[in-house]
Amino acid sequence: MSTFWQRYRRNKSAVFGLAVILIVIIMAVTANFLYPFDPFRLAGKPLSGPGMNGFLLGSDSLGRDVAAGIVHGAKTSLLIGLIATLVAVLIGIVFGAFSGYYGGRLDDFLMRVTEIFQTIPSFIFAILLVAIMKPSIVSIVIAIAVVSWPGVARLVRGEFLALKSREFVQACHTLGMSDLRIMLREILPNCMSPIIVIGSLMVATAILIESGLAFLGLGDPNIMSWGFQIGAGRTMLRSAWWVCTFPGVAILITVLAINLVGEGLNDALNPRLRERI
Amino acid sequence: MNRLLKSCLVAATLALSNVSAHAGKDGGTLSFLVQPEPPTLASYVSTSGPIGLVMPKVYEGLFDYDNDGKMIPILAESYEMSADGKTVTFNLRKGVKWHDGKPFTSADVQFTVMDVLKKVHPRGPNSFREVSAIETPDAHTAIFKLNKPAPYMMRSFSAYESPMVPKHLLEGQDVKSAPLANNPVGTGPFKFVEWKKGQYIRLDKNEDYWLEGLPHLDRIVGRFIPDASTRTAAMENGEVLYAAYNAIPNIDAVRLKDRDDIDVTTDGYSMINPMALIEFNTKEGPFVDPAVRRAISTAIDRRFMIDTIFFGYGKPATSALSSNFKATNLHATMPNYPERGDVAKANAMLDAAGFKKNSDGVRLNGVLDIIPYGEDWRRAGEYLKQVMGDIGINLELRYEDVPTWLKRVYHRYDFQMNVNYFYQLPDPVLGVHRHYGTDQIRKGTHFVNSSRYSNPTLDALLDSGAGEPDAAKRTAAYNEIQQILANDMPVVNLFELEFLVVYNNKLKGAYDSAMGAYGSFREAYLDD
Repeated sequence: MSTFWQRYRRNKSAVFGLAVILIVIIMAVTANFLYPFDPFRLAGKPLSGPGMNGFLLGSDSLGRDVAAGIVHGAKTSLLIGLIATLVAVLIGIVFGAFSGYYGGRLDDFLMRVTEIFQTIPSFIFAILLVAIMKPSIVSIVIAIAVVSWPGVARLVRGEFLALKSREFVQACHTLGMSDLRIMLREILPNCMSPIIVIGSLMVATAILIESGLAFLGLGDPNIMSWGFQIGAGRTMLRSAWWVCTFPGVAILITVLAINLVGEGLNDALNPRLRERI
Repeated sequence: MNRLLKSCLVAATLALSNVSAHAGKDGGTLSFLVQPEPPTLASYVSTSGPIGLVMPKVYEGLFDYDNDGKMIPILAESYEMSADGKTVTFNLRKGVKWHDGKPFTSADVQFTVMDVLKKVHPRGPNSFREVSAIETPDAHTAIFKLNKPAPYMMRSFSAYESPMVPKHLLEGQDVKSAPLANNPVGTGPFKFVEWKKGQYIRLDKNEDYWLEGLPHLDRIVGRFIPDASTRTAAMENGEVLYAAYNAIPNIDAVRLKDRDDIDVTTDGYSMINPMALIEFNTKEGPFVDPAVRRAISTAIDRRFMIDTIFFGYGKPATSALSSNFKATNLHATMPNYPERGDVAKANAMLDAAGFKKNSDGVRLNGVLDIIPYGEDWRRAGEYLKQVMGDIGINLELRYEDVPTWLKRVYHRYDFQMNVNYFYQLPDPVLGVHRHYGTDQIRKGTHFVNSSRYSNPTLDALLDSGAGEPDAAKRTAAYNEIQQILANDMPVVNLFELEFLVVYNNKLKGAYDSAMGAYGSFREAYLDD
């Protein structure tokens, strides 16, 4: 673990990214202490600028506190990002593992299914899914997971293909281990590093998709999110820039930070790149 | 009745003198925004908004209405109503020709009302429901025979509401699919020339228009521009001169208003009368008790909604009827309709009605459906959720696509509280009765009595209001109707929406009709 941290630490921007994410996480966890009220509450004079009328980052067209929205929105964004990614990674691992390990017809079948999903533009597919199910936090998580898993499946399949003919796997066969046990206990741990990297990047994509959906009005109307704030403020960008600027900056910084962390993880976990610097 | 006839004739002379006073410059092309592109041009089959923007320039009605609600004679020169209100005789204008050269006669009026409007028009069956027959003793007289007096019918003769169509081009055909739909032939000041799909509709001056000297414009072009910011830009650089029905979003209109060459008006919608409102399910769910609905109406800050969500364009509702019905003396201000919300009073009302708050401060839980027509309505829903929270009603917001929402509210009645807006139209019989009458509980029909409110006393009053030829008695009937509705509140009106017309002020003479953008533009001209 200490060597992992040493390797990670060498990438300065990754450390910066990690720090930013920690701040966002702290913000999300302490949301109810920082702003102990409903972020939709009409807190004061509409369209107050930053610093005016007691609003740190201003208020929106109905007089809702932008700062409260950002803090509470952090919770939504992170939660949706993490859960959707977990679901997508699980689906991807199952598809990729069986496909790569068994090969043949099963592989053909599973990969054709994956390709069907890959050929549909993911954001439009997500819009479609949310529009069919009614917009709610569950339907958004499902939609993001459904459009995100094919990449993981492809990656895992490739890793399994490469690893299944290696000597240690053949040794396991000789020892009479079951297929499932070989897949779970032997091959999967050996391809965890790329999965972790792709997973961390997917969190960023998931946050972007969620924001995009909320921006288009397909978010859960009862839950505050950054995309919702931008969507609600975009018509008045010329007269009240702060309403969508601050949530926009929040998305930018968070997504950037997650990408930096993903790259740091890649450097730290991938032995072949260990001496890259 | 004589007085009514006289006022009508006076209006006629006034209107005619107005025309000569409005002598404007001839020539020029008017480009204006038509948003969205119309699905068809058959204004006798569909009342869809964009059709209304184009077709009243081509087809005409028997009358038009000015901004004070007075009737302006168009294809009818005058009318006489019998003392019992059951016979209305229209004296039609002589020398009017269809754009194909055939003369316009009483047979066209008879055919249009009996075979077209009463059969295929969305609102025609209601407007003309008492018309049993139309007699045509000569080519220029049409006598409407009514089962019952129908004073509201006289408000629905505009070119948008009841366009007169040529009998010789529709007779013997299926009206809904006849080729006239997209090759319209009317009597209006402009002739249809071409419809380039996705781009524009072009209308040219009718050189043989029956009123000498009109129209002033050589050409009208209706442009379709799907993107809102491009529409605003087209307005800013003078590419288009006129935009109605919020083709320019309020937020941009407020900005454009400050320019010297662009003006904004809320005139031209009084015959449409849009009203924002909340429909309640009065049969099941948390809002069955009228006391709750009264408290909800009391808590809502209507002024706040208008100022923050609609940029100040709107008037707080003061009764079940729009204040535009003041012109016909039907509107009366009612209790439970405060302009500024009173949360404390609403809380007291709910306490008194026995709805106790639990430990979380919640009295009732409910779901609020929001009309899926854009961001403004979502903001309205978010506001309502907050203010309802203040009086202990915990609402969940639901925002679905249009077909799902329509099915939920009007087919399945699977809703509790629904933000919506209705057109109250030029008369309560046409636009308001459909909310409240027991006969308007029509499962599967959109925009009728979804509350399933049923009150025999009210039904009787609605009937007498509809058929009452005496103005004072009609006023009394509607007064009582509004009192019942202010007490029972199956629907809580929020505010009268004010749509905007954004126009370049070198366009003149296009603003005198109460129909606004749905008018003929025959007196419009360009002054530069």
